[in-house]
Amino acid sequence: MTQIDRYPATDPVTTEIMRNGVLAVTEEMKTNLMRTAYNTIIYEALDFTTGLFTAEGETVSIGIGLPMFIRGMAETVKAKLRHFGRDGIRPGDILVTNDSYITGSHLNHVTFSLPIFHHGVLIGFSCCMAHWIDIGGPLGGMTTDIYSEGLQIPICKYQDEGKVNTLLEDIIRMNVRVPTRAMGDLRAQLTAVKTGERRFLELVNRYGAETVRQSIAAIMDQAEAAARKRTLTIPDGEYEAESFMDDDGVAVGKQIPIRVKVIVKGDEFTVDLTHVSEQVKGFYNSGVTAGYACAQVAFKCLTSPTDYPINDGAFRNLKVVIPMGKVISAVRPAAMRWWMTFPMTVVDTVFKALAPVIPDRVIAGHHADLVVCMGHGMNPKTGEFFLANFGPLGGGWGAKLTEDGVSGTVCINDGDTHNSPNEQTEVKSPLVVECYRLIPDSGGAGRYRGGLGVERVVRARCALTFNAQIDRAHCRPWGLGGGGEALGNSVAIEVNGEWKDDYVNAKVLVAELKEGDAFAVRAGGGGGFGDPHLRSVESVREDVLQGYVSAKAARELYGVAVDPETLAIDTAETTRLRAR
Amino acid sequence: MSAGTTRHRIRLAADIGGTFTDIAAFDVAAGELRFGKALSTPASLVEAIGDGVKKAGVNFADADLFLHGTTVAINTMLERTGARTALLITDGFRDVYEIGRVNRPDAYNLYFRKHDPLVKRAMRFEVRERMYAEGEIRTPLDEAQVRALARRLREIRVEAVAVLLLHSYRNPAHEIRVKEILQEEAPGLFVSVSHELSQEYREFERCSTVVANAYIGPRVRQYLGEIEDRLAAERFAGEFLVVQSTGGLYEAGEAKEQCVRMLESGPAAGVLGTRALCAATGIDSAISFDMGGTTAKAGVIYQGKSLTTGAALIGGYDHALPVQVAMMHIFEVGTGGGSIARIADGGSLRVGPESAGAAPGPVCYGLGGTEPTVTDVNLLLGRLAPDRFLGGEMKLDVMAAERAFRERIAVPLGMDAVEAAEGILRIAATAMSYAVKGVTTERGLDAAAFTMVAYGGAGPLHAAEVAREIGMKTIIIPVSPGHFSAFGMLFSDLRYDYVRTHPMRLSEAVFDEIEPEFGELEGTGIAAVRRTAVAVEEIVLARALDMRYVGQEHAVTVDLPGEYFADHNLEAIKEAFDRTHELRYGTSAPQERAEIVSLRSTVTGILKKPPLARVAEGKETPDARAFTGTRPVFFGGRFVDTPSYARVALVPGNRIPGPAVVEEHASTTVVLPSDTLAVDGFRNLVITIGSALR
Repeated sequence: MTQIDRYPATDPVTTEIMRNGVLAVTEEMKTNLMRTAYNTIIYEALDFTTGLFTAEGETVSIGIGLPMFIRGMAETVKAKLRHFGRDGIRPGDILVTNDSYITGSHLNHVTFSLPIFHHGVLIGFSCCMAHWIDIGGPLGGMTTDIYSEGLQIPICKYQDEGKVNTLLEDIIRMNVRVPTRAMGDLRAQLTAVKTGERRFLELVNRYGAETVRQSIAAIMDQAEAAARKRTLTIPDGEYEAESFMDDDGVAVGKQIPIRVKVIVKGDEFTVDLTHVSEQVKGFYNSGVTAGYACAQVAFKCLTSPTDYPINDGAFRNLKVVIPMGKVISAVRPAAMRWWMTFPMTVVDTVFKALAPVIPDRVIAGHHADLVVCMGHGMNPKTGEFFLANFGPLGGGWGAKLTEDGVSGTVCINDGDTHNSPNEQTEVKSPLVVECYRLIPDSGGAGRYRGGLGVERVVRARCALTFNAQIDRAHCRPWGLGGGGEALGNSVAIEVNGEWKDDYVNAKVLVAELKEGDAFAVRAGGGGGFGDPHLRSVESVREDVLQGYVSAKAARELYGVAVDPETLAIDTAETTRLRAR
Repeated sequence: MSAGTTRHRIRLAADIGGTFTDIAAFDVAAGELRFGKALSTPASLVEAIGDGVKKAGVNFADADLFLHGTTVAINTMLERTGARTALLITDGFRDVYEIGRVNRPDAYNLYFRKHDPLVKRAMRFEVRERMYAEGEIRTPLDEAQVRALARRLREIRVEAVAVLLLHSYRNPAHEIRVKEILQEEAPGLFVSVSHELSQEYREFERCSTVVANAYIGPRVRQYLGEIEDRLAAERFAGEFLVVQSTGGLYEAGEAKEQCVRMLESGPAAGVLGTRALCAATGIDSAISFDMGGTTAKAGVIYQGKSLTTGAALIGGYDHALPVQVAMMHIFEVGTGGGSIARIADGGSLRVGPESAGAAPGPVCYGLGGTEPTVTDVNLLLGRLAPDRFLGGEMKLDVMAAERAFRERIAVPLGMDAVEAAEGILRIAATAMSYAVKGVTTERGLDAAAFTMVAYGGAGPLHAAEVAREIGMKTIIIPVSPGHFSAFGMLFSDLRYDYVRTHPMRLSEAVFDEIEPEFGELEGTGIAAVRRTAVAVEEIVLARALDMRYVGQEHAVTVDLPGEYFADHNLEAIKEAFDRTHELRYGTSAPQERAEIVSLRSTVTGILKKPPLARVAEGKETPDARAFTGTRPVFFGGRFVDTPSYARVALVPGNRIPGPAVVEEHASTTVVLPSDTLAVDGFRNLVITIGSALR
């Protein structure tokens, strides 16, 4: 049946106009949120996601934000629908929650949904999740249950038929450290969901509700058709891979297994996460929504990476098997504060599983951690509390079958997320950044080299409390097809002029620094792809020239003898090294 | 030549684009505007200027002002044909330029690419020095090291050097000293230091700005030098001014140093033309819509002023190199006449962003293009006449376009070819309407309330659909829409923009500190204006502050009258900020504290403008000579017999009800069935949008 037969109220042209239309809606929501936001994480780091959903909670379009939040809003809308019932949701309502077990993430992700009505009929939702810089709970340290992580907002109405829930506002103000910022972010999110409502209604009024509905259905069908077509190009079979996380920060040194299985049959794709670790005591758990997101992100990358909008049609041929109680399907009261770290490694492990059959579409392991750290204290100059967050450090990405990995770029949890400029951080907080640089030799060796990791060293200008929650120090980003592994993530602290560099993991839950002390965080690189001895001598020489690879590594890993000063290649020696 | 009477009475403007070089000449004495168009000559751009001036029928020797906008700067950057450049940067930060902001907009694409630095790592050198954020020295500059570096740069035959030292916006002493040393040790080197271009924080953006300037500097300098030589040879005795991305002019000497300020000079001049047209016709607010072969661009005139922005991303969002200088605020979408229509994998119909460009071009050009484009669609629907394209210089192949369209689009979709063609046009129009709306939404303005001024080769062809999509009521097609940027330059003023980051709480703002800072910026600007030999009518100073609520991250620029500073009126400043915030974001928080991030100063030297003269109105019905025939054009689901007119024969007062097409050398205006076209006293085509939706 052609599209025209199935959807008589629309046609291919109107459908395409609508596709551009819904993209423009979520884009404008993003613009308005960003411009109105109060905190660095939203404005500078762009840690948020906006979206449009059907009346049933199916994703129509979500703006590029956090890939790993690909399911968070849809599941939230569905939960709100279950909670209130369709009849319990009325015009003028704005619904909110930050329930970790629904969003799958941490309590900072306050998620607003505005039901959109047309002539009294619910026709969809506009939603906005944004990361609040503080939601209460401890600063630094470890949590082992959700109750110690801050304010939990159950599903409720922030606005009930136009009337604002001032009690909720009071509760929020009393539970967060910087109420003006929280309320500012809340207002920014309201601007975003109202923008979504207004613009979506413009489309409905312009083209008619039924035409819009059918066009959206057609867009989803097109996304499904594309996903199925591309799944067919993956050979049938069962593919497995394994990796691990360092630990949960509580049982230090106890590795956490990540085992995935992918089953491809015809145009159906299944991700089986049954053998991922049970949920853990430390705050590295995430909810089942994140478990689904792992599978969806990996699937999207492999089947329709550049198709937009992101909508649920693209996932109709994806099946996810995941029992509850796993570290990526954790149940109450699991601690969720650092929800984002483990799912990234799950995604990478899916790529690893499929590498033997579709080497041209996957990527070697990447640094897979935001490598964020924070410092807080009292600024002696202003007498005010400061909370310094540099945003994601950026690290190395895995090499591909035909290309080097990218250096210094945010991990797969995030997309259009930015770091904070060092100058800006120094203006706002009593710190001096001593360096922000690529780490030579941190990328895995290979015919195609992995991207380089990044190091930042920061010195305190006053006493402050430092914390870092970094993983993947031990499970280093792996190579594929004979490529080497990369440098892992790490952290170090200098106290009284002495560097402590030998942490058992990359987690420093609380460290008190004095004026003049320093900390260093290092993001690892990306794994290499293919035998390093097959890398062209000229590429190795260029890497040495640019300082990405040392002459020593060129010799030992790539079998290329290059003079570090003159960059002259010793051809005979190179032939000898490569013959081995 | 009878000196004094004939000399120095012509103002010349030259806009070099990818395909054509446009000349606009205003004869002050005769009150006459002339145009010349010549093919751009990539090998020697200066030649095309000479050709165009000849075609306009004027002499360089008769001109007192030569105004110039050029793509040489942007092309050098995009085509990577700049100088062998090095970067000197604060110790510990040489990779900032490569790391950038770590973002990955192409979020699911494992083969994503990030920005590609103009200077490779081996050419980025670290300098031992450091400032604190407050501008106090943490580590003194190691001058001996800089000297050694300078000598090394000379040895390795570097042509240009960019210098970025942290917090130089608060204390430029080290950057100034590094520049001095470089000039001493390596004279002849093009040296660019960041604080001279931008005094705003954000080291990656400032770094990218100063590197771009150094990278394009030598080539731009040489190019401007060639023009100067040519002007001298032609006995031009006036002043040579270059158009900046703000639309303001600066002296060629300055342009040779601050090259990065002219990146978007052509598009900016189009917006200036729009402003001039608005001023002449009494329109308060307008959106310019400039559509060419590969892109459509929109800019804004709001309450008589063109809106500018403090930074732009050059080369597409995903791998952009940021440039942090003042620019006209222009939104761009990848839809143009050459945009290709295709069926995507899942069976959906897409228009662009791939473009057939000029080569192979649309199928109907017969130059090897095989994929149907927006231009082919216009031909199939009868909007373009196959035998009148470019004044008949180029015959269009209707049959080939139709065949390609049927095979690649209509049959696979199961649609009628003409119906699908009309659909492509609608898809293109809606896509462009989002760009046009985008430029206003970001400012909290409603595009529907604006007048559209449409130009560029394809602008007048699509303007009616785009305007209708947005709900705009009036479109103006200026005289010679294909020369509009050159026209706009004639209405430019000398302009110098400065920004300095200086964070402070508004409540603690000390006017005794602010005043000297503004005074310094303004003094620099006034001196720059006075340095030019052009007689300015007056110098206008404008002040603004970038402000935000305490705790908020992003600042908004608040234009403020000088009296607020003279009166030390904190309350008025706060109120103006609240108002701006409300307008732009729909919310404000008057009870909350505000802070200042940066001071902005604009110094404008007002030039005498060519008066736009009204022509006496003629009769309503166009002269018979204007009517060029009737042809079937597809409107509202069917072919309608549609009259065509030659624009050159239309006179003020003429009215033409839609449907109609009006043709001129490089452009065709489409008047939709329910719309009405009138020729105003300045010979502009004014289209009033009717009520029918489509």
